[in-house]
Amino acid sequence: MNFPSEWTLRRAIAFVAALGVGVATYIAIADSGGGAPTCLAGGSGCETVANSSYSHLLGINVAVFGIVGYVLLLASAFVVSDAARLGGFVVALGGFGFSVYLTYIEIFKIEAICEWCVASAVLMTILFLLNATRLIGYAGTEAVVPGES
Amino acid sequence: MRAEPDRRQRLLQLAAGAAFLAIAAVVVLIVINSSNGSGGDTKIEGVAEVNRLLNGIPQEGLFLGNFKKGVPVELIEYGDLQCPVCKGYAEEILPPIIEGPVKRGEAALEFRNYAIIGPQSLPAGAAAIAAGEQGRGWYFLELFYRNQGEENSGYADDAFLKALAKAAGVKDMKKWNSDRAQLTDYVEHTTQRAEQLGFEGTPTFATAHPTSPDLKVLGTPGSTGALEDAIKEAAEETGAG
Repeated sequence: MNFPSEWTLRRAIAFVAALGVGVATYIAIADSGGGAPTCLAGGSGCETVANSSYSHLLGINVAVFGIVGYVLLLASAFVVSDAARLGGFVVALGGFGFSVYLTYIEIFKIEAICEWCVASAVLMTILFLLNATRLIGYAGTEAVVPGES
Repeated sequence: MRAEPDRRQRLLQLAAGAAFLAIAAVVVLIVINSSNGSGGDTKIEGVAEVNRLLNGIPQEGLFLGNFKKGVPVELIEYGDLQCPVCKGYAEEILPPIIEGPVKRGEAALEFRNYAIIGPQSLPAGAAAIAAGEQGRGWYFLELFYRNQGEENSGYADDAFLKALAKAAGVKDMKKWNSDRAQLTDYVEHTTQRAEQLGFEGTPTFATAHPTSPDLKVLGTPGSTGALEDAIKEAAEETGAG
């Protein structure tokens, strides 16, 4: 099976993780002032979600956990080792699982959709797929520098 | 590219184990939540319904409506959170008023505590005002009524009030906790005021012009239509109708 080069996958992971840091940071900042992220498409879904009891875990906004996850994924893209491949996969898997859970809560419990949360869930899904491809394709291999293989 | 088969196999086995654990964790979280009512870590019901009702309407204290833009009429409810008739009003009579005149900016609603049912009415009322200090007062009121227990059965204890505050979206629970301890005086004050006005029970409604302290007492109108008529009449009196 032909996988994209690990170099390409790492660049894609870094790009998507950087976007994720931006989205999660915006949600966390908007919430920290007692407000809520502004839904660009209008409506008040973001306010409803941000003000619900589900937006905080142990008193911490869930977006803060998102920032930590995205930063770890960004860091894993800069390291070529099996630890980084497995670590990136595990963090992305955790983030993806948490996104599935939060999306379930939005749809069935809060009954409101926040587009920023959806954006984060989509980015985390892409990161999960990229990290899974990286791990399956390159686990147990040594680093290949572009131009040297 | 040179792969080490044993190491690779070990890594992929670890990844498969992690994936299995992640799927199990998500399933467990969803199952726990689906059997838990609407309040997440509490058993508070009606969160989604209340969110839909109050979405997008400004709140300050126990005021609900676009009062900052100069709402011509204020509809004031003197109520007790333990009162079953008030619960009926919250669930049946008032939602069309909130969806209609309040959302259209024609009236604002204000809840004032008239704590007469029992000893727990006082801390419950203070807890609602404390939630209002964080812009969540009406969420608290509406959720209280939707989760109300039998009068004076002792259900409205601290644990119940805390669960309601969390479900209502109160973010700073520490502040809420210290605020509510100081707000029982205010509940007593509005209760005394209601007694001075000669109110005989809850809920009692009144209309007022936001700039005037005078109340026009309506008593307990038995329908949404009667309250809407009172709002229209008050608006006409102020020249806004």
